[in-house]
Amino acid sequence: METGAVSGILNTTLALIFTWVGYKTSKIIYKYTPYSYPNARIKAMESKLLTEQRFNELAESRNLQNFIVNLEDTDYRDYLAEVQEPDVESVEKALEKALAGTYELMARILPRRVSPFFRLLLEEWDVRNITSVVKAKLAGEPATDYIVEIGPMLPKVKAMAESKSMEEILVILEGTPYEEPYQRLLLGEIDVRTFETELYRMYYGKLLNYALSKKEEERTILEEFVRLRIDRMNILTVLRGKVAKLSAEEIRPMLIPGGSVKLDPLLHVEDLGMALAELDSTRYGPVIRDVREEVERDLGVLERALEGYIIERMNELNRFYPLSVATPLGYVLQKGREVKKLRAIAKLISDGLPPERIKELAGDVA
Amino acid sequence: MDPIVYVSLGAALAAGLAGAASAFGVGIAGAAAAGVVAEDEKNFKNALILEGLPMTQSIYGLITLFLILMVSGILGGGFKFTADNPDNIVKSAILLGAGLTVGLTGLSAIPQGIIASAGIGAVAKNPKTFTQGIIFAAMAETMAIFGLVGALIMIVTGVGF
Repeated sequence: METGAVSGILNTTLALIFTWVGYKTSKIIYKYTPYSYPNARIKAMESKLLTEQRFNELAESRNLQNFIVNLEDTDYRDYLAEVQEPDVESVEKALEKALAGTYELMARILPRRVSPFFRLLLEEWDVRNITSVVKAKLAGEPATDYIVEIGPMLPKVKAMAESKSMEEILVILEGTPYEEPYQRLLLGEIDVRTFETELYRMYYGKLLNYALSKKEEERTILEEFVRLRIDRMNILTVLRGKVAKLSAEEIRPMLIPGGSVKLDPLLHVEDLGMALAELDSTRYGPVIRDVREEVERDLGVLERALEGYIIERMNELNRFYPLSVATPLGYVLQKGREVKKLRAIAKLISDGLPPERIKELAGDVA
Repeated sequence: MDPIVYVSLGAALAAGLAGAASAFGVGIAGAAAAGVVAEDEKNFKNALILEGLPMTQSIYGLITLFLILMVSGILGGGFKFTADNPDNIVKSAILLGAGLTVGLTGLSAIPQGIIASAGIGAVAKNPKTFTQGIIFAAMAETMAIFGLVGALIMIVTGVGF
């Protein structure tokens, strides 16, 4: 073979190899490098989540002051330091701020291609707060008691709670996506239940659109996360509807589109027992089977079981994709559960319940 | 291309590719190390050891660079394959191949950095997984070792000292 031919083959081979290697390498680097810092940090944070033994120790706190002192060596310290006079409301607010801080931290340290999702997740508290305020106003109750101190719209929500009339709320909501459904509520076109559903539909719609706009495993994980949350919400709505003896036509408008479970067969069964049996063939079957008897007495048990299932599923995805968005998603859910339990313990301590009873009740909460 | 271009390219690719990959690998693991240390300083020692694993590929690249430069005579004497004949082209191509083998297998430093990064997170969560983390990350090292062994065989049998 001539020298020129050998050189030609070598040069072409080199060009092909380098193009392929360059493409593959840059893809790997783009995909995983941005998750390296946040996910390792989150794993370290996971090791600091409170254990069952720690919750039991907290339940032994004599009073709220003691409860705060017991949390001195945790990440809650900075938030609880702001509590001057330890009353249950201030402690709850401090814990809520800590949870909001966790979401904000995730949004700050995660790669820009997924961080907006965590800001969107915070909007769930806006939806909850707005509906709570509207419901409280309609019932003539003090709305400020129902506000949770989280959410990008918190200042507006507080202004809504302090408003003198329902019309004033419309002015506050002007320019937000919630203006239009609230206007319809004021005009009497929809009732407060439909208003709440509308808000949740908007919220989950945003989450799902965001998830579907992503690619590859980010899309897989985010989409599954959103669909699981929608399923959880819809299943609980249907089952509550069944307990309240509502018809399929009455329940259907309250459902959120975008879930993975087909709800039609569930809507047409007669009672709760049959609805649970219908769910047996879905992915939630094993979860429901484990708590079936308790669920028939208290739907809150199913709510916790489904929340636990979502956490477990995120942990599974986290094991499969260690450098992905599954790690922060699993963490914020676990943190949310922890805060819920701490709030319950704080409330029970302030109510003066004995430690044994607190341990028992706190276990039922989260 | 002249034989000297192939030989120089082989040496440069061995050290350059492997070195760049090591830099990425250490960078990825280093970011994870910074993350866990930000949460708890006690994680420093374990994180440092795991972070250093992707560095070895750059050493293999450097060894290969020296070998290629030595056998071709660039280092310690005159260049041996000056004449533009097929034999010299083949020998210089073998040296390019050897350098390329080490350079490309040295890219294993990037996935090794990714594994080390995940390992650093796992160790921060559960310190008992440190040994396993090292083993998992070290598995990626085998590819680089195979590359180095292959390159040595190519240099010794194809060109000779």
